[in-house]
Amino acid sequence: MLLTSVIIVLREVLEAALLLSILLATSRFMQLRTRWFYASLAFGVVGAVAYGNNLTAISNAFDGTGQELLDAFLQFAIYLLLLLIVPLMVINHHRGAYKRNLLQGAMLVAVAFAVLREGSEVYVYLSAFRTQPDLYSSVMTGALLGAGIGFSIGALFYYLLLGLSRHYTLLLAGILLTLVGAGMCAQAAQMLIQADWLPAQAPLWDTSALLPEGSLPGQLLYALVSYEATPTPIEVIVYSVSISLMVLLLGFTHYVSRSYRQNLPEARAH
Amino acid sequence: MTSHWHKKWYKTVIVILLGWMAVAAGRPEVTLEIRDHLFMPSELTVPANTKVKLIVYNRDPTPEEFESYELNREKVIMGGQRAIIFIGPLAPGEYPFFGEFNPKTAQGKIIAQ
Amino acid sequence: MKSIRVFLLVALLSTIILVNFVSALHGYRASMAEAQQLFDRQLAATAQLLTAMPQPETAAIVVRQTEDLAFQVWAGKERLLMRSSNAPQESIAPFEEGYREINFSGYRWRVFTHFAPERRGWVQVAERIDLRYRLADKMILESVLPILLGIPVAGLLIWLVVGRGLSSLRQLAGALQKKRAEDLTPLPLEEPPEELLPVVKSTNALLARLQASFDRERRFSADAAHELRTPISAIRVHAHNLELELRDLQHQHRSIEEVPDSLGKLKGSVERMTHLVEQILDLYRTTPDHYPARFEPLDLYQLAREEIAESYAAFAAKNQSVELRGGAAPLLGDRFALAILLKNLLGNANKYTPEAGHIEVWARTEGERVTLRVEDSGPGIPEAEYPRIFERFYRVGGDRHDTSVEGCGLGLSIVQHIAQLHHAQIELGQSASGQGLSVRIDFPQQAPLPNVAGEGDD
Repeated sequence: MLLTSVIIVLREVLEAALLLSILLATSRFMQLRTRWFYASLAFGVVGAVAYGNNLTAISNAFDGTGQELLDAFLQFAIYLLLLLIVPLMVINHHRGAYKRNLLQGAMLVAVAFAVLREGSEVYVYLSAFRTQPDLYSSVMTGALLGAGIGFSIGALFYYLLLGLSRHYTLLLAGILLTLVGAGMCAQAAQMLIQADWLPAQAPLWDTSALLPEGSLPGQLLYALVSYEATPTPIEVIVYSVSISLMVLLLGFTHYVSRSYRQNLPEARAH
Repeated sequence: MTSHWHKKWYKTVIVILLGWMAVAAGRPEVTLEIRDHLFMPSELTVPANTKVKLIVYNRDPTPEEFESYELNREKVIMGGQRAIIFIGPLAPGEYPFFGEFNPKTAQGKIIAQ
Repeated sequence: MKSIRVFLLVALLSTIILVNFVSALHGYRASMAEAQQLFDRQLAATAQLLTAMPQPETAAIVVRQTEDLAFQVWAGKERLLMRSSNAPQESIAPFEEGYREINFSGYRWRVFTHFAPERRGWVQVAERIDLRYRLADKMILESVLPILLGIPVAGLLIWLVVGRGLSSLRQLAGALQKKRAEDLTPLPLEEPPEELLPVVKSTNALLARLQASFDRERRFSADAAHELRTPISAIRVHAHNLELELRDLQHQHRSIEEVPDSLGKLKGSVERMTHLVEQILDLYRTTPDHYPARFEPLDLYQLAREEIAESYAAFAAKNQSVELRGGAAPLLGDRFALAILLKNLLGNANKYTPEAGHIEVWARTEGERVTLRVEDSGPGIPEAEYPRIFERFYRVGGDRHDTSVEGCGLGLSIVQHIAQLHHAQIELGQSASGQGLSVRIDFPQQAPLPNVAGEGDD
């Protein structure tokens, strides 16, 4: 029981903690207020409990596909928010304060959504054992171990990002957020396939022999970049399209804001 | 392949609409029960290369998550509820699944033939 | 990074949690595997035992069993010889040697199937998986729990230890914070840790350089004033001589009507310059860091009377009345410095009070303190200006200052120096008469601490 709950809780906590630590670290660099993240976390937790308590109704909505659709919606929304956050980060880096309230707001909503999604899963899992007292201590111990490991990785990662030079922090944050965002999209696509909104297909490849999805490294990779041992063509396409879209957008904003900065002294001279 | 995908993309709406009709038209259905954190039956046989509608009843008061890495499916089923999961089309073979909340006992596999 | 302490706490605790929890998990997994092997061996032993038991030849025996174990003993593959009450009639698992996991009777079981060649029959022993894991879990959990419970303790210890380690940094910050603007003594940190030594050293070196340059600046103005005294005296003498010579000429020739106007102006300027130089010297002399104070018992009332008498001529010249009130005001003080203080206060009162005005001086004991108050009936000073009038060369109204009144703007700075020397407090206000400035200085009766004077290196 202990190992199971470690894996479940660690997987969920790690996904949220990673996103939180990247956004927190970049907020620090952009000198955005970080106190609002507490509110965002609180909203996420309240939302997670509400989600967990109403899961029956949500599941039964849309002909029994409500769970998948809501999950897909949350993940896709986080990706869209990241699509807004990452370019704004680049612009803010190159030309100073620009739409900082929008950036801050997008970050807060993204964190709240991530916490809501991951938190609801942990909440439902833990609530399953409330009525089984002989298992509860084992489950809770595992949950604490998993949460401890997840938050520790998040905290150390946060300090690592802060310790890097500004430029590398932004680069690393950009790469990671791109991967996280693409992972979210792939998972959303997976959910839509499960809900039968997207056609089911045979998997493109199978790496489960190389790295089983159920193993601890497999679960960690799943949390980081949504590792999938047997992805279908749709998932692969969605994953690559979302990465390319982010990269294109980043390249564009990078180019534009850099040329803006280069033109700045000339503009002043005239 | 990309162009193939693009062709399919704008047809997605139609696919979705057709999806419901296809369900109504009668896909093979299999049912599974969760009782005392056990899957009953623990082995299911389904036709290969066909989309199958899997109906899972959770007879326990506690929630359970149906999960299968091989089938790429995960779905939380609350206590006393029923869930519909579409699987396949599957190549012939064995596809293990388990209940993520009680993985030691809630185990089973789908055999596609 | 907001706080070193928080950073160290979070980073260290995270590292400890990560390392400990991961190794605890590893231990858990290893113990779990070990326990499963042990349980499997027990299953095999039970199977052996069942094989060795005598079996009935006719009807199958049903053995009542507790719920966690089930078994079947078969003759060949068809005939059931013996089974536990919780096992079904048909074989619980395929007849294949080894372990497998199977559902029956509403539970999931770990089944060991064994072929006993001596009896040509199969034995199947099954154990409930959920109970088996629960038992193993319970045993191993005991070893994991202390690691979990140790974390808050570790957190508390890290918090305290880091706080202790940072105490010298806090001390340094405190020492820097407590330093007043004019205090340029070295930081009092005893035995600073290696990491802070460069900070303390360079800060102290900086303070010393600053002190030296302050001293140089002060000495320069004092030296300059001192050096100016001689030529000014010479000018005074020459001006005096010039006046005498002019008078002689006037006497002899009668051609020159009068002593020229400019000579009078020259004399006035020279007087002002002499006053300025004296004031600069007084200001320097009375600097609390340098003044070699000699405190002696004296009566402030008496001293005030003497000083009023000394500057009586100035009051008389403006037809002003001076009143000394109060009574015996004994205190420990420096006679010379207090005389300068009184002279400056009286001089200011005299300067700013119009013709035929009234000046009131109070000196008396009030409880533990001795109070000196000088009130004039001049135009007074707006309250907003109070903090600034102690600045050197500051004059109320700036350039619009009434030029008919002479003064260099050093008087109150000198007064402040001397008050500091005596640990006295200055309070400015309005005269009781309505207009006019009231300067009130509260002296402690006790002797000021001996370290007040002469702490500087020179």
